[in-house]
Amino acid sequence: MADASVHLVSRTRRLRPLAWLALAALLALAIALALGSVGIAPDELVAVLLGGGDALHQTLVLELRLPRALAAFGTGALLALAGALMQILLRNPLADPYVLGLSGGASVAALVAMLAGASMALVSGAAFVGALVSILIVFGLAHGTGSWTPTRLLLTGVVMAAGWGALISFLLAVSPVDQLPGMLYWLMGDMAYAGSPWPVLSVAVISLVVVTPLGRTLNVLARGGLQAAALGVAVRSLEWTLYLLASLLTAVAVTTAGSVGFVGLMVPHMLRLRLGNDQRVILPASLLAGGTLLTLADTLARTLIAPQQLPVGVITALLGVPSFLYLLSRSR
Amino acid sequence: MHKSARVAPMAALTLMLSLIIGLGACLPGVARAEVCVGDDAGHELCLEAPAQRIVALSPSVTELLFAAGAGERVVGVVNFSDYPAAARSIPQVGGYDRLDLEALLALEPDLVVAWQGGNPREQVERLSRLGLPVYFSDVEDFAGIADTLERFGTLAGTPDVAAAAAASLREDVATLRERYANADPVPVFYQVWEQPLMTINGEHWISRSLALCGGVNLFADASTLAPRIGVESVLARDPEAIITGGMGDPNSTWLEAWRDFPQLTAVQRGNLFFVNPNLVQRAAPRLVEGTRQLCQRLEVARGRR
Repeated sequence: MADASVHLVSRTRRLRPLAWLALAALLALAIALALGSVGIAPDELVAVLLGGGDALHQTLVLELRLPRALAAFGTGALLALAGALMQILLRNPLADPYVLGLSGGASVAALVAMLAGASMALVSGAAFVGALVSILIVFGLAHGTGSWTPTRLLLTGVVMAAGWGALISFLLAVSPVDQLPGMLYWLMGDMAYAGSPWPVLSVAVISLVVVTPLGRTLNVLARGGLQAAALGVAVRSLEWTLYLLASLLTAVAVTTAGSVGFVGLMVPHMLRLRLGNDQRVILPASLLAGGTLLTLADTLARTLIAPQQLPVGVITALLGVPSFLYLLSRSR
Repeated sequence: MHKSARVAPMAALTLMLSLIIGLGACLPGVARAEVCVGDDAGHELCLEAPAQRIVALSPSVTELLFAAGAGERVVGVVNFSDYPAAARSIPQVGGYDRLDLEALLALEPDLVVAWQGGNPREQVERLSRLGLPVYFSDVEDFAGIADTLERFGTLAGTPDVAAAAAASLREDVATLRERYANADPVPVFYQVWEQPLMTINGEHWISRSLALCGGVNLFADASTLAPRIGVESVLARDPEAIITGGMGDPNSTWLEAWRDFPQLTAVQRGNLFFVNPNLVQRAAPRLVEGTRQLCQRLEVARGRR
């Protein structure tokens, strides 16, 4: 009896921050729908959401703002979750979704597609394929012939990333001038490229379902591979599952919006500073907080100096760095 | 992944229709006849009536629309649309490389003139999907400028002004061509940018303008339209004249930098010339004036032989 009540208390304690974060996410989406270059009053916005309202407002809210806000939310959610998984996998606080060279592979493929004059849908497809190629190369090489460790995986990934970086510079150097702005925006991460939000959103929901039951095991793994193995965790297969899952999430995110930086690195850290390092909380919280941050950042990106549009990657860092430093300085 | 089920294209369509019908009703003098033109992307574009509210997505498109007599109907432009002066007070819808679609839609245009190759394709395609008529412009030379003027005149219902502008442009070009038909060739290096050092190949209209009065673009054989090149290759090809628009400043430090290489024929003869970049680097009617400037510079170079 006593055991059960303790379990219940800790469960509500775990759920409370998630409820707050879910509320923040809804608020962020509401803000994203309400703000834009064209002023739409709250009552007009409600009218549009109820299926009425001005025809122009309907187009703006339902065709432009809503898909973009949802795509931003899904992308941010995937990146933050992937970052949290990578940090557990590599047991390295500097790990982010891109540390193993995945965004590099995606970027090279996307830039080649742009150079070949492909349509945006093809560019996205190429980015996804490039990300998969990078995952497989790193997976194959880190496996190697001998033993493998997270350190070996990290080194392989970092070197791959450097190689992709060189190829990106090469592609930018030989590309026609009129293509450069589009390429740079893609590299900086930009929601203007996002098409339908459903792929990212559905992947986010699926990954949450997959990851939630793993929380307790990941808590053990986070304390170290040896300890986890001693406690009966199948460390090797768990680590590869983490790697593939985090990589796929990142690939989908990069395919949607280019390589948006910062979210994947900082959001899990910010949450750990506030909520402690219980993966059962951190993983779903990363999903919600990452989505919220990117939705707000993208809203700012398209309104801050409108009609001039900024790439969202600029804003994520501008928003995130001070708030992260504030949290860090307040933590013990 | 970009193919999504569109929930409310009907809304945009209704908007367009009501706009067109509404304007037709407001302006009884305007003929309601359908107008059709082919654009530079090979599409056939038809409007139910001449466009009344046009958004121009590049500075040169803005210049072309004004020259075609449609200036009063331009309701939206992009950054750097600074000519003619009236264009500066028209609301902007972002930069050519990143459009503010909300601001654009809020102008309720009945025609969008896009710059093919310059505007982000995804954004322009989205405008098409929302039901806006989009004309893709990709002007490459004088013939293209004249043809575009006439098409814009058709689309905007100002065919007389546009035809006159196109005719005078063709005449001016023919006059220039005639005057310099037997001009001695002058090997030229046209500098687009300094860091990185950039020029233009033979496909570019600047190269064609130079050719019109005997200028021989030394990098005409380059594979890309605006190639990045090394200083060495300029020295190796030894131009007789170096021309640049710089960043719009006649006392260009770009030209002074070439004096470090006194072995260049252009430096020995002092043939380091400035031209107004807005006249030559935009594919718009002012290119005639820019070409005149280029030709004058070449004449000066010939006089120094």
